[in-house]
Amino acid sequence: MSAGKILVVDDDPQIRRVVRVILVGEGYEVVEVRSGDAALLKFREFLPDLVLLDLNMPGMNGLETCRALRETSEVPIIFLTVRRDEEQKVEALDAGADDYVTKPFGKRELVARIRAALRRSPSFAITGPNTFVSGDLEIDFEARKIRSGKNAVRLTPKEFDLLRYLVSHAGKPVPHRELLQAVWGPDYGDQSDYLRVFITHLRKKIEPHPARPQYILTEPWIGYRFAGPE
Amino acid sequence: MLEQRRIQTVIRLGGSLLILAGITFFYRRVITDVNSTTVALSFLLAILGVATAWGLFEAIVSSVAGMLCFNFFFLPPVGTFTIADPQNWVALFAFLVTAVVASNLSASVKRRAQEATRRQQEVERLYELSRGLMLLDKQSPMAEEIGYRIAQVFRITGVAVYDHAKDRVYRTDPANPSISEAKLRDTALQGTVFHDSLSKLSVLPLSLGGKPIGSLAILGGGISDTAVNAIGNLAAIAMERARVEEAASRMEAVRQNEEMKSMLLDALAHEFKTPLTSIKVAASSILDEERGLYRELATIIDEEADRLNSLVNETIWMARIEAGDLHLHKSPYSAADIVSRSLEKLRILLKDREIDIEVAPTLPGVLVDAELVGLTLRQLVTNALKYSNPESPITIRAVPQDAVVKISVKDCGPGIPKAELQRIFERYYRVKHEDGVPGTGMGLAIARNIILAHGGEIWVDSSPEQGSEFSFTLPIARSSGGPQIS
Repeated sequence: MSAGKILVVDDDPQIRRVVRVILVGEGYEVVEVRSGDAALLKFREFLPDLVLLDLNMPGMNGLETCRALRETSEVPIIFLTVRRDEEQKVEALDAGADDYVTKPFGKRELVARIRAALRRSPSFAITGPNTFVSGDLEIDFEARKIRSGKNAVRLTPKEFDLLRYLVSHAGKPVPHRELLQAVWGPDYGDQSDYLRVFITHLRKKIEPHPARPQYILTEPWIGYRFAGPE
Repeated sequence: MLEQRRIQTVIRLGGSLLILAGITFFYRRVITDVNSTTVALSFLLAILGVATAWGLFEAIVSSVAGMLCFNFFFLPPVGTFTIADPQNWVALFAFLVTAVVASNLSASVKRRAQEATRRQQEVERLYELSRGLMLLDKQSPMAEEIGYRIAQVFRITGVAVYDHAKDRVYRTDPANPSISEAKLRDTALQGTVFHDSLSKLSVLPLSLGGKPIGSLAILGGGISDTAVNAIGNLAAIAMERARVEEAASRMEAVRQNEEMKSMLLDALAHEFKTPLTSIKVAASSILDEERGLYRELATIIDEEADRLNSLVNETIWMARIEAGDLHLHKSPYSAADIVSRSLEKLRILLKDREIDIEVAPTLPGVLVDAELVGLTLRQLVTNALKYSNPESPITIRAVPQDAVVKISVKDCGPGIPKAELQRIFERYYRVKHEDGVPGTGMGLAIARNIILAHGGEIWVDSSPEQGSEFSFTLPIARSSGGPQIS
């Protein structure tokens, strides 16, 4: 029984090779491809639990591949990126990625990120409510079903976890660091840009007017607060 | 040319006299029974025609000749120049005065019409010139092009333009020596117009807003002073515009070159990261597994990969800063957080060093790009490590000061010679006697750029044998909400 199936997409053969060696060593089942097109083909057949995706590839680049994957799947996606610029990080998260690792990375960092992305049923799940209803918004955490007005809403796992954590602390401001550590894991805390992107996504999906949010409110300098039912 | 005009005048005079003779013949031989008034009016008509068609000189000669004919052939006693009736004296005088005055009027109307046509033509040519100057070919020197264009539009051969900035004279007719280079240069500097009507040479200064641009010489007449001045203005504007454009494109070329270099450096640095990643992953995996001898070796590979990576990062930042591409992504942070995060990343280097950290307990928040400010602080700490005795302590302080937070790193190294204090923030500059210490000379330059971009200051206090203290300031964030992450 493997720890999970991982699809590695990178145009550099040495990186594919070394990543495969360490991930297999960690008990994962690994399939590697060298391009975005190949990734899309392989994805359907291999049905991985997680995709490691290089951002800069010739042909179909990482962002395009990520968007294409997101059209049909909520699989966790981690970007491997060389650049550290903020715009590209935000762009990557915006395209639907759950996380990114900056090259060069060490084994521990990569494995920790993969574990964080694969982590299910976070510890807080037990304490939170199982359903939430307010106005047009209905959330069934048990069945992982969300409805905004008449539409069913699809959330990625991280979006779902983020929403669940906020709802379980409804009415109280949750600091950035606490949110990051609860949803992504104990190694996180400084990535407030993750939150900005994911909160924006969530608002687009569940708020009637994303620019004037009524559920997920920003607490300046502190974090976010979910407005509980009155 | 002059000869030609003289012949023309003689022909016209002959023609005028022939017309008068014809009229005389007509009234003497064909219709003989007419009164003298009719004859006089006929003469007047002919003279007016001559004045209108040919000019004043021909008309006046015709007037006198007509008067003589009138007197000789038509006023009694006919056949002599004597006049019997005093009344006829009045008639003859009236005829002469009328003929001359009418000729004069008619000729001046003609002159004005000619003048107007000439002016109109000049205006048309000036317009043509101004349009031509707008569309000049940028390949050859502007002054040369302007000269040729003036010569072409105004149909003159001798034009010379002196470009003051290049100190060169461009001539349309190099064989013609009558425009002296000294004359052009003097005119440009003194700013006075020179005009020689004998040789029909005009030399005028070209200037714009009192600034001498050059001078223009036009050989050959036919162009009014007003038009010459207008040509001068057009030429001055065109030359100045060309000069400004040239300077701008030179600047642009320099900037593009710089940008190109930075882009190349940036791309190259990123290329290094791919193999570095493989090395780093491989080394860190061995490190994880191995417990024996090879663990030490894997540690070295891992640490050196990190060092290579920070060199590559420095190069990238330097390239960005040089290309003017330093974009800050500011977020609110507590200064204490910045210090602790930076030191965390230096953990391995700081392992065996004595580090005193004095962070004031109540530090206000700062709005900064944490990655870049962290880079700056790490740079200062690594410098302190590199340039001081491994046994000596390093002190890191963060204190609030008025509207800023001051962060400083102090070592007990040899200090920096006074003469070099100013220069150490320049890029690629390295303190002279420290040849043994590895480095690129980029670190402090990058640090300085980052701090300046944040609106802070960076400086060093140092005295020989007392060590150095590098300090920088960051403006306190104005919001009262407190730091975001603490």
